[in-house]
Formats: sequence, structure tokens, C-alpha cells
Amino acid sequence: MKSYSPLITLLLAYLIMIAIGQSIPGMWQPVMLVIFYIAIGQALNVFLGMTGYVNFGYVALLGVGAYGMGVALGYYNELGLIPTLILGFILAAILALLVSAIVGGIALRLRGAYFAIATIGVNEGIKYLIMGAKIWGGSEGIVLSGILRKSFGAETMRFLSTTFADAGVIVVAIATGVVTAYILNSRLGYALIALREDEEAAKVMGINVTKYKQIAFMISCVLAGLIGATAWTLKLTYVFPQDVFAINYTVEAIVIVMLGGAGTLLGPLVGGLIYALLKYYLAIAFPGLQLLILAPLLIVVILLFPEGVVGYIAKKARGTRLENFVR
Amino acid sequence: MKKLLVFVLVGMVLFFAGCAQQQPQQATTPAGPKEETLYFGAPISLSGKFAEEGKASLYGMQVAAKWINEHGGVKVGDTTYKIEIKYYDDESKKENVQSLIERLATVDKVKFILAPYSSGLTLAAAPIAEKYQVLLNSHGGASDYIFEQGYYYVVQTLSPASKYQTGFLDMVKKLDPNAKRVALVYEDGEFSRAVHQAAKEYAEELGFEIVYEKTYPAGATDLSPILNELKATNPDVIIGGGHFADGQLLAKQLAELNINVKAISILVAPTFPEFYEALGNKAEGICGPAQWEVGARYTPDVADELGVEWYGPTQDEFLAMYKELAGEDAVPPYQAAEAAAAVLSYAKAIEKAQSLDPAKVREAMNGLKFMCLYGLWQIDPETGKQVGHEMDIIQWQNGEKKIVWPEAAATADPCYPMPTWDEKASGATCGS
Repeated sequence: MKSYSPLITLLLAYLIMIAIGQSIPGMWQPVMLVIFYIAIGQALNVFLGMTGYVNFGYVALLGVGAYGMGVALGYYNELGLIPTLILGFILAAILALLVSAIVGGIALRLRGAYFAIATIGVNEGIKYLIMGAKIWGGSEGIVLSGILRKSFGAETMRFLSTTFADAGVIVVAIATGVVTAYILNSRLGYALIALREDEEAAKVMGINVTKYKQIAFMISCVLAGLIGATAWTLKLTYVFPQDVFAINYTVEAIVIVMLGGAGTLLGPLVGGLIYALLKYYLAIAFPGLQLLILAPLLIVVILLFPEGVVGYIAKKARGTRLENFVR
Repeated sequence: MKKLLVFVLVGMVLFFAGCAQQQPQQATTPAGPKEETLYFGAPISLSGKFAEEGKASLYGMQVAAKWINEHGGVKVGDTTYKIEIKYYDDESKKENVQSLIERLATVDKVKFILAPYSSGLTLAAAPIAEKYQVLLNSHGGASDYIFEQGYYYVVQTLSPASKYQTGFLDMVKKLDPNAKRVALVYEDGEFSRAVHQAAKEYAEELGFEIVYEKTYPAGATDLSPILNELKATNPDVIIGGGHFADGQLLAKQLAELNINVKAISILVAPTFPEFYEALGNKAEGICGPAQWEVGARYTPDVADELGVEWYGPTQDEFLAMYKELAGEDAVPPYQAAEAAAAVLSYAKAIEKAQSLDPAKVREAMNGLKFMCLYGLWQIDPETGKQVGHEMDIIQWQNGEKKIVWPEAAATADPCYPMPTWDEKASGATCGS
């Protein structure tokens, strides 16, 4: 059980964040912003961190997840509130699973940079498929608040888009952390780390690298889909193709993973905290100039901690009592 | 290495502490007994894809606030409020908008928020504004659906998408009751779809006949198959477009295929000077809707004639003040005028309500009607949708962009019917 103790640090961090959000006025949405960024980092980390493969189509999975929930709430809301929500989560997961099975099945046969190149088109492809084929509202997207208000009443709609959505994001974020911890301690994790370090050697040792890569990819993608369903569809109450298939989220997630430490459990937590807090406070203190300040700060952090902040701390903590709580 | 690390960490902690302390101090300005500062909050896109529009709207807001303060501020009871704009950069991102709206509503205790730019971001802001029961005034979100979701605290200052092409149809009907055949060719996008669906309904209401309707995908590079079909239907009037590139392509290919009609109105593209630069005198006579244009003749006199109250700077004052903020050569785009009008509408509604309670101000807005440099301001009480403001219809005449509709704002008579492509090829222009 010792190897699960870093989870304690993770859960503690969430508890502190939630407490801060609840007790200080005006801090709840910023805390949710941080948790959103941690979550997208955490879900990407399952694949990028463990295998070293960069998935440039990452945001597409958040997007299809958002659509899964959007379709359930927009088109099947006569089922009643709870069945619709359950259907939404299932649809989000299934859509993400489908996309990841297809993309992974093809692209994961490629190595390293070639995989990254193959995934670049995924996001644009799905976006234009939805817009061009006019499925699910096409370019007009799905606007939900009016529909929710009509089907479930104004109170329920407000509850869904605030309390429920926020709780959903937190649950998904924590779940991604738990899944990461599980993988790190499982046969899957060892196989992934082996193949990250040297894919040929891992193959020679008898590890079915394609299978393990595919599993990690699909887990990462389903988690991303659930984040899309909660943090976007439920919380924002609309799904626009241009908004959910926006490539900058992929880049942000990669930055967060690298910042915190790829392949570590707490990396995305630290990376997300640094990234989101810096962004939020810089936007408030220096509106319009924050990106100019943020970029050099991020470069400094990366230069100081080439293995990510958590990678560095874990190294320092080796042999101390803290060792068990940082990973 | 270790020292550097400590240094950076300490620096960051100090930095956050500084930020955290700085804000509340600003929010609680020392208050005199009779004169206080009233903050209007605004998440603005100063970076990201709406950076240009965001900057222009911020200048517009600041100009309006300055004008209000120079002209006696906002009076509620015997207290005079000076207006200040409290703004943050939302980076054109939906997540940031939600955090910033909450910050404005709780930390800064702002009751009146100017919505972020674009329909999507306004929609992201709406649930949070509604949660904290603060007013959200949309000056950059044109889509009608924002106001069909049942949000009470969300009101609109600019014309909704459904009104973009209706002014043009009114104009054609007035100029030529015999022009009946309308063809629609537009981009398959959320915005242009909303615009043209509404235009289609309105045209049918006015007694026009829709002889052709087709959409083309975003990023289309050849419209000739569609236009050849369109030519066969022999329309009198064409309306369409979407964004800049496709609007320009539409005009160019209409010329190439020599499709002559009496009037054309294209969304977005004709409002840019680059449209004329690219097409030369082929652009002559082409119309397009604009929320506002420099030169729109909304003046206190026009307001008098219409029997509504005038409020805010005149256009000359506005242009001068805008230049002070944005630089000598800056010409305000329509985003600046929209944003200014939103600030003015808050000031006017607060004075009318004699209260700073958002619910009371919202109620006062229901009966509010005034004119400013941007045009009329009046909302539909139930949805909050803008119904007073009319789109300006611009037309290229003799190499200049003229406002030809509505009559209250017009700077020139419409050139109707527009010259044919053959006439234009031999150098004809509107008014030559």
C-alpha cells in the first residue's frame, strides 16, 4: 500500500483547494479553473507522461466528450434528469473510446514524432466532420441552457450548470489521479515506463508494446472525454465546434505535464497550479500583458526543473521521510 | 541551483501576495459623502483571437465613462457617482470569462458587467452573472439564442443577428416595390446561418419571393457551381456572405459570371476598406450591413425629430476622445461604439431607476429609450434583446463607403439599381 501514499498528497491538495474556494469569496471559479487545468494535465499525463508519445489530437477527445453530454442533454432530455445525465456520461465515454480506438489503432503503429504528426489532423478532422456533415447542430452547435430550463426548470438548470458541473469536474479530476496512481503501481505502468525508456528493449523483453500503448491511450482519452462532458458542456451550457476543438488546450495540457513532471502522479497537480494561478493573477494584475510575462516565467521553471517540478522534488526527497508522499 | 530555486519561489510568493492585496485596495476607493466611484466590470479580450475587437471596445467604454464623468456623472438621490471601468483580460477563453465574472461580482463587488466580446463568451458568462444576480450587458454578442435561454439579467446593446439583413430588405422594398425575387447564398456558419434564416423569414413577411437559397462551407474557394444555378433563377436581389474572404469571393465571382442584379448585400466583407482595395470599382454599389460606421448621422437633432432623448458624446466628441486614448490615427471601429453605448445605457438606466440594485436597474431598462452616437437603444422587456438599434447599411459609391440606410443615419442616397458588371468594367461608378 506504500506506493499509493502519494495519493494522500494529491487528495489533500484538492481538499485545500476546495476549502479555499468555498471560504474566500470570488475564489471558487479560479479554483475550478485550476482544477480544470490539473484534470486535463492529469488525463494527458496517463499517455504522454507514461509513454513519451505526444498526442496533438488531445483536445478532440475533450470535444467529443463534450458532444456526448451535449447530445444527451439536448436530444434525449425527455428521459428524465438522472437517466439523461447518466446517458450523457456514457455517451461521452463511448465517443471518446471509439475515437481513441480508431486513432490509436492506426496511429500508434507509428513511432515518436510520426505519431505526433499523425494525430495533428484528428482534431480538425472531427471538427469539420461535425460542421460539414451538419450532425448535432453542425456549425450552430448545441445551446443547452434554454432546453434545460424548459425540461427541468430554472432551479435545476442553475444547479446543473454550477454546483453539479463543478462537483463533476472535481470527481473526474480526482478519478484521473486515482487511475494514474493505479497505473503507476500496476503491470501496465511498468510496461509503459519500460517502453518509454527504450521501446526496442521493451519489445525484446517480451512486452507487447502496441497493446500497452493502446490501453494507455484509450484510458487517457476516456478521461479527457469525461472532462469535456463536465467542464465544458455542463458548466458552460453550450457546445460549439469551434470552441471545443480549439488546439490551444492541447498545447496547454502538454505545458502543464512538462511543467509538473511527465509520468509523475503529482506532476499535473503542480503544473496545473503553477500554470493556472500564474495565468489568472497575471491577467488581473497586468491585463493584456500577462502572456508576455507568463512565457518567460514558464521558460525559467522549465530550465530550472528539466524533469518538471515534481520530478526534481522527488529526486531531492529520495531517502527522506517525504519520499513516500511525492511521486 | 538551490539558491536560485528559493529565489524564484520566494519571488512568486511575494508576487501572489502583492496581487492579492493590490485588488481589494483598488476596489474600496475612499468615498466622499456625496461623490462616489461606481465600477462597471468588464472581462475583455486583450489577447487571443478577439484581441483587436477587445481593445477597441475597451477604448469605447473608457471614452463613454470619461464623457459621463465630465458631464456630471451618474446621480442617484443626492449622491453623484463617477464611472470607472474595471477590466481584466479574458484571453478570448471561455474558462477565464467565468472566473473573471465571479471575481468582478464577488471580490470587486461590481453590479454591472459589460459582457465579453463574441456570442460564445457572452453565453459562457451568462450562467455566472445570473448566479450572482449581476447585470450583463452584451455589446459584442449578436446571436439571438443568448436571449432565448431565459436569462433575466442579460441584456443586449447591439443589434441581434436576426436584424443584420432586414434593413437592406426594407430599403429595397421602399426603393423598388417591383423587385420581388430574392436569392440567398451564404456561408454555413453559426452566425451567417442565423442572419440569413431571419432574413429569409423577414423577406417573406415583406412579400418578397425566395427564388434560391444555398449555403457553401466555410473556407470555400469556388462558388461558381452555386452561382451558375443562381443565375438561372434570375433574381432581382442577392443577399449572402459570411466572413471576409468568402464575401469577397462572392462579389468577384458574381462579376466573372456576369450575374447582374439590382442590389447586393454581403455580410461583413464590404465593411472593410480592403474589400474595395481588392475589387476596385467592381465593388461599386455593393451593400453590406454594419452595426455602426464613422459618419453615421445620429445627432441630438435627429433624436429631437424622433422625439427621443439624446445621451452621450456626439460623434465628433467621441472621435476626438477616442484618438486621445487609442492614438492619433485611430479610427474607432463599430466595436468601440457598441461598447460605449452599453456603458451609456447602464448610466442612463441607473439614473432612471435611482438605485444601484441590479434587479431595479433591469426593470428600469425595460422602459428605457434613448439615442446616442450608436443609434437608438431600446430592449425587448421579456428577453432583453435589442430592438431599438438599427443596422446601418453601407454601400460603396465612387470609392467611398457611404451609409445609405436607415434614413436617420444616412450620409448618401442609395445607388439603385447598381451599375451592371459590364458598365463597371468600362469604368462606371455609383454616382458617375
